[in-house]
Amino acid sequence: MSTARSSSLLGAALALLLALAAPAGAVQDDLDAQMLAVASGLRCPVCQNLSVADSTSELARDMRALIVDQLRAGETPEEIRAYFVSKYGPWILLAPPARGVGLLVWVLPGLGAALGLGGAILALRRWARRRAPSSEPGAEAAALERVRALVSGARGGALEPEEASLVEALRELAFDHRAGKLSQSDYEELRDLYERRAADALTRADRARREAAAPPPADDAGAPVATRPRRRAWRWATAAVCLFAFGIASGFFLTRSLRVRGEGSITGDALTGTPQASTPTPVDLETRDVGALLAAGRQALTREDYPTAMKTFSRVLELDAEQPVANAYTGLLLHKGGHSDRALAAFERALARDPVLAPALWGKGLVLYEARGRPAEALRVWETLLTLQLADDDRKHVERIVAEARVKLAKASAPAARR
Amino acid sequence: MAWRRLVLVFLLGVPLVAVLAYGFTRDPREIPSPLIGRPAPSFTLRLMDGRELSLVDLRGKVVFLNFWASWCPPCRAEARDLEAAWRRHRDADVVFLGVNIQDTDAKARAFLREFDVTYANGFDPRNRVAIDYGVWGIPETFFLDRTGRITYKHVGALGTGIIHAKLEEARQGVASRLEGKGEYRSIQ
Repeated sequence: MSTARSSSLLGAALALLLALAAPAGAVQDDLDAQMLAVASGLRCPVCQNLSVADSTSELARDMRALIVDQLRAGETPEEIRAYFVSKYGPWILLAPPARGVGLLVWVLPGLGAALGLGGAILALRRWARRRAPSSEPGAEAAALERVRALVSGARGGALEPEEASLVEALRELAFDHRAGKLSQSDYEELRDLYERRAADALTRADRARREAAAPPPADDAGAPVATRPRRRAWRWATAAVCLFAFGIASGFFLTRSLRVRGEGSITGDALTGTPQASTPTPVDLETRDVGALLAAGRQALTREDYPTAMKTFSRVLELDAEQPVANAYTGLLLHKGGHSDRALAAFERALARDPVLAPALWGKGLVLYEARGRPAEALRVWETLLTLQLADDDRKHVERIVAEARVKLAKASAPAARR
Repeated sequence: MAWRRLVLVFLLGVPLVAVLAYGFTRDPREIPSPLIGRPAPSFTLRLMDGRELSLVDLRGKVVFLNFWASWCPPCRAEARDLEAAWRRHRDADVVFLGVNIQDTDAKARAFLREFDVTYANGFDPRNRVAIDYGVWGIPETFFLDRTGRITYKHVGALGTGIIHAKLEEARQGVASRLEGKGEYRSIQ
């Protein structure tokens, strides 16, 4: 009881407050509505398929605040839209402008609908005109004759309800044609259609009567039916082969063209074709088995779990500070994190123990080339790397980078040589 | 009859599949910038040391404007190169200016200490400057010539070679036709 009363009191107080604050609140509501109208037409730059109005990202939130400020400053929605276009290009508009390539987006759907509708109408007309397939042409002609006789009223007799209504329709059609309500071509088309339907109905009724009188021998019914399933089976087989080929092709091309997504992919990377190293086995960091640790570290590296990889290699280095493989991979991880000095030191340690360790040579060259800007030295390191036994893909990759570096080096030294 | 239908299906289907296949090769996050060759939007920035800096005050100098955050790995990757380039060019009428976005004060300062950054850096707490420059991925870098015109824009980590080359172009007032791209992180 008391809670109900206090809540109603609270409601009254709120209503009073709202009434007092109404003018300011109304202006705010109006501003918000205008802001949302503008924001819902803008694409959020850091989202996929979200408007600035719908996105919860920090950038979209700041953009909404900016729009409100601009509205307060007296700018029109068109001016604000133009402002965003001048910063992010027409990309930012959810509805592309009807110019240039953007015009296609506006025209194509209408064009497609018109073409589709036209095609559908044409196809329907063709189907309607097409003769119904019949196994006995002589019987069909006879049935048509019978229908025409029925329509002209020469022969009455007991008719099934379906036949009677078709005959009636044909009579009305003829009447309309005589009264000038139907063009010659329309009349002929419709008459043919109805006549054929009526003839079909008659033959069906006849057959039913005959079959009721004497069940036909088995092979009599089998002969005409047998040709159709065979053709249909052939069609089904073709369709199945095409579908299969399509599935293979899309499976092949999709997995090749999709990018690997980071963590948080709802498909668990199943669609991206990332070789998931099944469920990662937790690494036992207490073990003294260097081989197992190195394997676990490499596994973590291939599934891009860098923290685990780093921990694993660090453990190896605790056991043996000069272990070359662990040093090399630690160097690669450090280089990825932007610590080029420590990375270079790690590669040097690895190469001191094993001067032809491929990952260490690769990483040392990378640091020299990318972080230190010493392409000539990097090239010397990579040339050593290329004398080693490498997997085909790795070799191609290294050769490509080396070629790139050579071009860059040649370009950099060309002006110096001229001078 | 059948072959005619087949030709029709190919005429419609092949371009459609080609368009879709082309779509797969493109980065859906990429936003082409309309800013290259245009005057750089002006702004005033609160620097790390408390001073305020206006872009207008830098007229007559080549400006290297870099948007970054401490949480972005490519920003870490390029930090040393940027500092090295600054030390090499600082006497040549070139100003390096970092704009920290979507970050906390403490983490930004720790980043600058870690990489021993000596060029000016400022905060953009409400992304106003970032939006004004159409930023969507970081690091994002703009090269401004002496008249305050944007001559080049690069999304993603920069290498030493490209920094020197583009600074030289900005010094000569040559605007690039295309923007550059490296490894980047989408901002939030």
